[in-house]
Amino acid sequence: MLSLEEIVIYRDKEPLLQLSAEVAKGEVLTVMGPSGAGKSTLLQAIAGQLQAPFTLAGQIKINDVVMNNIDAHLRKVGIMFQDALLFEHMTVGENIAFAMPNNAYKNKRMKRDAINELLAAVELDGLADRAVTTLSGGQQARISLIRTLASQPEVVLLDEPFSKLDVALRSQIRTWTFSQLKARCIPAVLVTHDKEDALAAGGEVIELR
Amino acid sequence: MFTLVTLVARWCLLLLLCIPILAGLLGVIFPAMGYFPAIGANAFSMQVFATLFAIPDIGQMMWLSLFTGLGSTLLAVLAAFCILATFYQSSLLVKVQGVLSPFLVFPHASAAIALLFVLSPSGIFAAISTRINGYFSHVFTSSFVNETALPASNEGALLYNDIGLSVLIALSLKEVPFIILMTLSVMSQPLVKKKLTGYVKVGAALGYSPTASFFKLVLPIIFSQIKLPILAVLVFATSNVEIPLILGPNNPSSLAVAIMYWFNHIDLSMRLLASSAAVLQVAVSAVAILLFLGIERFVKNMAKHCLATGNRFFADTALRSCGVAIMALYIILICAMVYTVVMYAFAKQWHFPLLLPEGITLLHWNTALSALASPFINTLLLGVLVSTSSLVLVLFTLESEQLKPARAFIANAFSLSLFLPLLVPGVAFLYGLVWFQQLAFQNAVWFHTYIAHMVYVVPYVFLSMAVAYRKLDNRYAMVAQNLGKTPWQVFYHIKLPSLFSAIMIAWALGLAISFSQYLPTLLASGGTIPTVTTEAVASVSGSSTRLTAVYVIVQAMMPLIGFMIAWYLPVFAMGQGKRQMHISNYSRATTAEPVQQARINKSKNKSKKGVIDSA
Repeated sequence: MLSLEEIVIYRDKEPLLQLSAEVAKGEVLTVMGPSGAGKSTLLQAIAGQLQAPFTLAGQIKINDVVMNNIDAHLRKVGIMFQDALLFEHMTVGENIAFAMPNNAYKNKRMKRDAINELLAAVELDGLADRAVTTLSGGQQARISLIRTLASQPEVVLLDEPFSKLDVALRSQIRTWTFSQLKARCIPAVLVTHDKEDALAAGGEVIELR
Repeated sequence: MFTLVTLVARWCLLLLLCIPILAGLLGVIFPAMGYFPAIGANAFSMQVFATLFAIPDIGQMMWLSLFTGLGSTLLAVLAAFCILATFYQSSLLVKVQGVLSPFLVFPHASAAIALLFVLSPSGIFAAISTRINGYFSHVFTSSFVNETALPASNEGALLYNDIGLSVLIALSLKEVPFIILMTLSVMSQPLVKKKLTGYVKVGAALGYSPTASFFKLVLPIIFSQIKLPILAVLVFATSNVEIPLILGPNNPSSLAVAIMYWFNHIDLSMRLLASSAAVLQVAVSAVAILLFLGIERFVKNMAKHCLATGNRFFADTALRSCGVAIMALYIILICAMVYTVVMYAFAKQWHFPLLLPEGITLLHWNTALSALASPFINTLLLGVLVSTSSLVLVLFTLESEQLKPARAFIANAFSLSLFLPLLVPGVAFLYGLVWFQQLAFQNAVWFHTYIAHMVYVVPYVFLSMAVAYRKLDNRYAMVAQNLGKTPWQVFYHIKLPSLFSAIMIAWALGLAISFSQYLPTLLASGGTIPTVTTEAVASVSGSSTRLTAVYVIVQAMMPLIGFMIAWYLPVFAMGQGKRQMHISNYSRATTAEPVQQARINKSKNKSKKGVIDSA
């Protein structure tokens, strides 16, 4: 469970946004608002990547543990952007393996099976050895999703992840994403401009001004 | 932990740049004030300066440095803008870069020597003009003309002339490519590029010619970003030693050359004079900077009026023909230089005014290669050591910048310190540095030379690396971090592989800079570590032209091989990775990718030296 308790984000001591919210396991909190309202900054704060000139007040808790002073790489918070951002010097399988926790699997074979299982879940079986640059946009988006899931995150942040996909693909990927998050009981925060995204997410919606 | 290491690297880099230069300046200021215990001078006085200004030719020396330095920089800036205004919107731009890049990579010494060959009274141009004269007089007078009996033409008068014209020309020939490539890399920064493309479109829509758009819309935006590098060029030009040494007048010589003679004089008391002259050199360079800034302000004020006149053209025809003419001049000069140097290197004999040597021999190569064996190894060892370690230092520093951004004040101080070695004349601080080094560890010659090279290599490696590093999409690092990777893992697994080709280019650039160092090597090692460059410069005054030609070729090839490795290793490495993939259908698509990438990087490299992210 993710709790945001009386969060205030300042830009050079000017308050930029304020909010409090709780996201239960498998739920999606949607944050909407005009550009410049600080939506992405909020996600960076949760991920632990807030940089100057922004500062944070209030508490961010994941499963009742305060995260404020924990380094980004120890928070177990996965983030997805509108670009898939697959690492181009790695194959599809290597991208996923890179995301997996170090001791998650006993041997290479089990790891390999796990990768194939993840790929099969998004109907991309047998693509493990492909170079990521040979994939279509939709395929890349799905790989990006399972890469995030492979890291076994406690929380997933979605920074307008569907906005670059065309309409037909968009609803499909959206359905994939939300059902996978639900199946794994992961709380998520979605930042978007698109009302349909918010509807599909089905959770609480906060409008920033 | 890793964060701490990068922070330490950042401070190391800062100290590495500042300490040698400040120590070096102190090391010349003390002797200049009459304090030099080694020869029993213990009293501070202005006596040394009085002696310096009593030298009859001192005014002429200062004037020579100022004139060749400022003149060449102004000429180079004008020529660079001419070329850019002509070609910046044209598809020929890539070719222009291609023609100019070799000039950038070749050491100053070898460029000057090649130019010396070409311009000399018995050079290729003199030979051609003599032949043409001969041909015409043959036609018109129908008399028998004995070719060899013709007097040498006047071209040779350019060389060694008293006001240093050939020095001025050689310096600007070297500077133009630098300024152009720097400007282009500023223009190719994503944000700037976006803005400029828009500006030029608006300009075109309002009816301004491309040339007018360049001067009225593009230049005002980018000039502030290329000013600091141009000032570095100016300081370099006013204080350079190799070029006036090879091409300049001897009586009197330029101030920097005189300083070198005095410092190396057997009579140690000349050191006092040399030190005071080194202080004077700093003043001359400072005056050159002030004059340049004054001229800049004057031109800016004049240009303001010009902006509002609404003139849609900007001397288009004249500027364009200038731009084309300068490019033609470059192509002709490069061809002549390559032709002459290569011919000399294989010639048995080459009599004026014949266009081809008589007979071909490998004798010079045999002689040179056996003589160059140990300098070659020294050069290579030093270059690899210096370039690799400065690359590591620079990468950690850049990483530290992203992990823990410094406050604005410190960041500014840092970027200024990067330019410190380029803004303080080498002849001024290197001697002082040597003095300190001899006090401390007299025998650590390699260490001293290493430090002296680092001071010059680190700034260029940093500037070349910084662009690529800051261009890297930061979200990749964020994603990796949130996948649970430590800062070190993100750096090692994500950033280094993504930056591989840029890293190789920066490494090759570091090699090239280290290879080309003349004065730092000579001084810091006290002449005990001969390199290809020091040998080549030494050979100009001594042995045969043909041997020198071989030296020049070796000297020019070394950095080129470095860049070859940098261009093709990333392609090769990616090719290797690709072979492990099982699906062959896509292998074609993936082959095309790295090659294209390499091309992009290749052209990126051409703008390697450049690029200043303004602080």
